[in-house]
Amino acid sequence: MTQLTKQQYVTIKGTKDGLVLRLDDKCAYSDMIAELRKKVDEDGLEGLAEVQVHTGNRYCNEEELREIMNAIHDSPNLRVSKIQSDVITMEESNRKVLENQSETYIGIVRSGQVVQAEGDLVVIGDVNPNGRVVAAGSIYVLGRLKGIAHAGSSGNAKAVIAASWLEATHLIIADKMETMTDELTILSEQPEMECAYLHPNGFIAIDRLQELRILRPGLSSFKGGS
Amino acid sequence: MGEAIVITSGKGGVGKTTTSANLGTALALQGKKVCLIDTDIGLRNLDVILGLENRIIYDLVDVIEGRCKVQQALVKDKRFEDGLFLLPAAQTTDKNAINPEQMKNLVTELKRDYDYILIDCPAGIEQGFKNAIAGADRAIVVTTPEISAVRDADRIIGLLEQEDIEPPKLIINRIRRHLMNSGDALDVNDITTHLSIDLLGIILDDENVITSSNKGEPVVMDPANPAAIGYRNIARRILGESVPLMSLTTGKPGFFGKLKSIFVK
Repeated sequence: MTQLTKQQYVTIKGTKDGLVLRLDDKCAYSDMIAELRKKVDEDGLEGLAEVQVHTGNRYCNEEELREIMNAIHDSPNLRVSKIQSDVITMEESNRKVLENQSETYIGIVRSGQVVQAEGDLVVIGDVNPNGRVVAAGSIYVLGRLKGIAHAGSSGNAKAVIAASWLEATHLIIADKMETMTDELTILSEQPEMECAYLHPNGFIAIDRLQELRILRPGLSSFKGGS
Repeated sequence: MGEAIVITSGKGGVGKTTTSANLGTALALQGKKVCLIDTDIGLRNLDVILGLENRIIYDLVDVIEGRCKVQQALVKDKRFEDGLFLLPAAQTTDKNAINPEQMKNLVTELKRDYDYILIDCPAGIEQGFKNAIAGADRAIVVTTPEISAVRDADRIIGLLEQEDIEPPKLIINRIRRHLMNSGDALDVNDITTHLSIDLLGIILDDENVITSSNKGEPVVMDPANPAAIGYRNIARRILGESVPLMSLTTGKPGFFGKLKSIFVK
């Protein structure tokens, strides 16, 4: 009798994308993992099946996720294709927000000053020589960029540096640096309305701002309008 | 209640001390009660330029450390009836002898008795600079038409903007007309656009600045001298008057210049 009324902590469903293992998010973690082990043990499958694991509203840390994976991989017939969760920690969430946001700095970045952003950086004002602007995303300067700009500081090679007046002494994108010396051919005669990007040849190239739509269409985050 | 103005530049040798001495004198000539403070401890000069070297008894560090009262340390300039005083820097110690808090208290005390406190800042951005700006309400940045001086001014303005004082104003010193007119030196417009702060005035380069400093008599005392006119104009602007900027084209046009001026009207 008790067998029948017992709540199922682990349900297996077959969908067109393969098996879905839904793990209950209300019960104790230890109960869930015990039942998972039992279920995996008694499965009657043949061949190799891909399973998606849904953890629902339960937050699993890396160690717990590994335990779940190991429990499923105990069966020679099951492979985890992905683990899906409806929750993330505040920390992860905050980081995602910061990475995707654009920060605005209004003022002049003077010699010796550093302005840093976790996502994109918009500077309204000038960046003077020896002033430094750093962003994990792209850098847009509404004003004269005459100092040092580092876009994609955590490795994003798709990041760009655009300025109303691009006359920087140093341009850095991801881990590639270019010193803007006079003999550099990419330095155009007219530094107005230009952008710098990492060319597929591995060097930093400079082009008209208007070319960005072709060079980096993915940067557009525009929604709405008609 | 007076106003404390710090005169700073970042780079050395651009004329902070000369500017302090001349502006102090110019304000005193306008009938204001002025106190100059030399904060360049260890490398004091302001007393020499004002010709007050021989009359120093106590100095800034003596006041801060309580060895004397501030009134005892102030050196009076006898050319002005109770108009100009100097608080000299100490020569035997260094900039770490005082801290910003002590400086602030001193300036606040002096502001009660004087219309203007001009603080002559040492070169650099270290302790001496921090002490000098601590008590200031306003700041004047001195630069020359050289890229190195402008870069340092930019750095200093950045540091000043982080402090709780009014936006700094700019003085461009040692302007040589012919270099600026021929485009061989940065021009006034380039410098003000680059630094993006208000221009308080320009001072023409003049040999008499050096000779008069050596005599201990600030050049501003000579009303006909071109540099003196610049300093007097700045003093008037500090007092709130609106004075047009000095023209950089030479006063006496040559023959062709005269000819041109007939046609270009």
